[in-house]
Amino acid sequence: MTQAPPALRSSLFAKYFVALFAAVVIPLLVAGGSEAWFGHRDQRARLNDLLEAEARSAAAKIQDFLDGIRDQLAWTVQLPWSDSADERRRLDAFRLLRQVPAVVSLTLVDATGRERVFVSRMGLNKVESGADHPLSPALKNIRPGGAWYGPVSFHGGSEPFLTIAVAGTRSAVGVAVAEVNLKLIWDVISAIRVGRTGAAFVLDQPGRLIAHPDISLVLRADQTAIRPLQTLRAKIAAQSGKAASGRDIDGHMVLAAMAPIPGIDWSVVVKQPVAEAFEPIYAALWRTSAFLIIGSGLAAALAYWLTQRMIEPIRILEDGVARIGAGQFDHRIDIATGDEFERLATRFNAMAGDLAVSQERSQRIGRLKRFLAPQVAELVDHSGDDSVLDGRRIEVVVVFGDLRGFTAFSARAEPNVVMSFLNDYYDALDRVVIDHGATLTHFSGDGMMVLINAPVSRPDPALCAIRMARDMQKTVQSLLRDREPLDHRLGFGVGLALGPATVGRIGTEGRLEYTAVGSVVNLAARLCASARNAEVLIDMAAADAVDGRVPLIELDARVLKGFDKPVRVFAAGEATAS
Amino acid sequence: MPCSLRQAVPTTRRETIALLGAMMASTISARAQQKATPVIGYLGSESPEAYASRLVAFAEGLAEAGYVDGRNVAIDFRWAEGEYSRLPALALALADRQVTVMVAPGGAEVALAARSATKTIPIVFEMGGDPVALGLVASLSRPGGNLTGVSSLSVEVSLKRLEFMSELFPAARTFAVAVNPASPTSASQSKNLQAAASSLRLELRLLTASSEPELEALFVAVSQMQLPGLVFTSDPYFAYRSRRLAELAERHKVPAITQARDFPNAGGLMSYGGDFQQSHRHTGIYAGRIIKGEKPSDLPVQRVTKVELFVNLKAAGQLGLTMPPSLLSSAEVVIE
Repeated sequence: MTQAPPALRSSLFAKYFVALFAAVVIPLLVAGGSEAWFGHRDQRARLNDLLEAEARSAAAKIQDFLDGIRDQLAWTVQLPWSDSADERRRLDAFRLLRQVPAVVSLTLVDATGRERVFVSRMGLNKVESGADHPLSPALKNIRPGGAWYGPVSFHGGSEPFLTIAVAGTRSAVGVAVAEVNLKLIWDVISAIRVGRTGAAFVLDQPGRLIAHPDISLVLRADQTAIRPLQTLRAKIAAQSGKAASGRDIDGHMVLAAMAPIPGIDWSVVVKQPVAEAFEPIYAALWRTSAFLIIGSGLAAALAYWLTQRMIEPIRILEDGVARIGAGQFDHRIDIATGDEFERLATRFNAMAGDLAVSQERSQRIGRLKRFLAPQVAELVDHSGDDSVLDGRRIEVVVVFGDLRGFTAFSARAEPNVVMSFLNDYYDALDRVVIDHGATLTHFSGDGMMVLINAPVSRPDPALCAIRMARDMQKTVQSLLRDREPLDHRLGFGVGLALGPATVGRIGTEGRLEYTAVGSVVNLAARLCASARNAEVLIDMAAADAVDGRVPLIELDARVLKGFDKPVRVFAAGEATAS
Repeated sequence: MPCSLRQAVPTTRRETIALLGAMMASTISARAQQKATPVIGYLGSESPEAYASRLVAFAEGLAEAGYVDGRNVAIDFRWAEGEYSRLPALALALADRQVTVMVAPGGAEVALAARSATKTIPIVFEMGGDPVALGLVASLSRPGGNLTGVSSLSVEVSLKRLEFMSELFPAARTFAVAVNPASPTSASQSKNLQAAASSLRLELRLLTASSEPELEALFVAVSQMQLPGLVFTSDPYFAYRSRRLAELAERHKVPAITQARDFPNAGGLMSYGGDFQQSHRHTGIYAGRIIKGEKPSDLPVQRVTKVELFVNLKAAGQLGLTMPPSLLSSAEVVIE
């Protein structure tokens, strides 16, 4: 009980932490995870729609750029040509150049395909050169009122230019052919913003870069440098125009969508970095992680707090139980938490009180056992009550027995032989007394006193006493016979008497005896003293009580010390015979 | 308690260490950045006053690329004060300083001086002529070496100036042309002008000037020869003296056309040339991009998209001239 308790295999803190962690973090994980998963899916779908819309809008802006030029050109092809030089058309051409910065040169061609007016920002103007326009075969095929877009060419291997031809509504008004510097799309393309850092670019049909916010990328006209952009477009095309993800020129992942510009076969691609597009999702993930960390911290703090609240009373309980276990029954466990711990402490305190009472009783009973017959002791033990030992006046049978010639024997024989004999003698007699439910109250030297009917009541105590006395004689006589080689010259006599006596405990706490007081005790002692070897002497009260159930022989009345008149004495028959 | 401490403390400590580390790293990188503040070596052929409007455009471009002088970039200016022969020495001084990037705006002379000074330090030029013809770059799209820059197209459009002058004087057959013989592009410009003149069936009187007195003499000669108009070839030496040219033109009553808008703005008749604001702004952008780590060989030479005609009607009135509608409708800006 007092030894140290075994080491803990797991602590309360760990258990609480696991429980609280599960309570806090698992819902967070589930919520965060599902939010991220569904959020990612929804965001992806939303982004696709958004990007596709952005692509269409960007394509519309590029288309507006081209349409603006086309519409301006349409002004110059409204009136039919005369044969002579036309100053007004020349002025129209100047005004167009003034109005449309992207046009670097303009050629007005008449219905026969001859150049009539040529104006340029860089080169010399020409009027009525009369030369066939180099593109005239293509120009003839333009439907009236329609436009024709030539292939993109890179001047000096760097600047992208486009030839736009616009036909009048009648063939007689001819065609306007303009060289357009596509660098000016930069103003349009660089103004397109997708999200925060997303951008747009334009590829022509063979995959050359026409427009990009980084103009130097266009001017480099480097097919290998723009390979990622071409791959991006191919990916979108492979998904039949749906938004796709891929790598940008700088290697970062982007989401891209595409819209075509009809009539000129260009593709406008918008792209947005994946990191930016999914920023809300990443933000949500970061938030969840932050909550997880906070949650873990909270779980740990709560677990710590709860553990502290638990451990203190548990420690007090542990200490209290150890003290009580060590026998300190007056110890009281003091816990005032108002909860189950306090109740448990109260229980322990009550238990300690009970233990104290029961220990006191068992100590008392233990003391009583020393002089009570085992049956008596057991009775007292069982009833848990020693009131049976309280003083009272009762009819009892008192039996005395002692050895004849013991003094001489003890003087003659070796002490160890004497003591060994005495031990055997008492052992044997003790057994007989126990067998008959009597109480051995006293022995000294070679004599002993036995009570019957007190403290344990017995029916028919006289009969019981006579039988016991006979057994005692039988036992001792056989003991003496076995010891004949010792030449002990010993005998054994027994006397018993029935009568009222005062019985009870006498003595102090340290030295306590149960005994009987009264003339019946004297009578029994005197009868024993006057009995010869192997004789059992019985007084008249006892003899009357057995009423012939045991054969008794009345001897001559004897004068006994302390008694005025001669006392009638009976002897147990069978014992006399042997 | 011990359990919770054991779990909580190292986490916070680890986090704290990580945080401290990040802070230290940022401080160190900030310090490293401070230590290595990039330096732009700016080579100017004239004085800061003449360059003022160009410098504003350059600073705009630089800011567009994320750099501001005195904050995250330093600019070391070297001015030749109009003495172009000093340019190579100034360029060498900048190269010796090991500037991060050299900016050589304002003409072929400056670009050539910068190129002769270094083969390793990136150079951003700004000029009117064709850098390929001058041998500065291998091609416009792939410059190849340590040079890239912006072309303002002013040299290419010299012949247009002759055309505009002939538009103003349709009956005249002979015009005076001012050439700076010191300019690296003078030969090619003269050749182009001669070719244009022959296709327009005109004759040219080539007059040279490469110093202040020669400029005065040039205007005197034009007025003495009774030539109807004077066409200036593209040359920074002329461009940076637009105010002076306007004075001389007014004094000698000579209708003249130059490359720079500063000329009509100062009272001259006309100008036709590239938009120098655009070209200087792009120069600033390129300088910034090179500081950021891009290689000049990856940056194609840019050509300005805007070539502008300025007409001063007041000057025309003083000269007793009527501007034809073809000129007025072509003019970007008409100064009344």
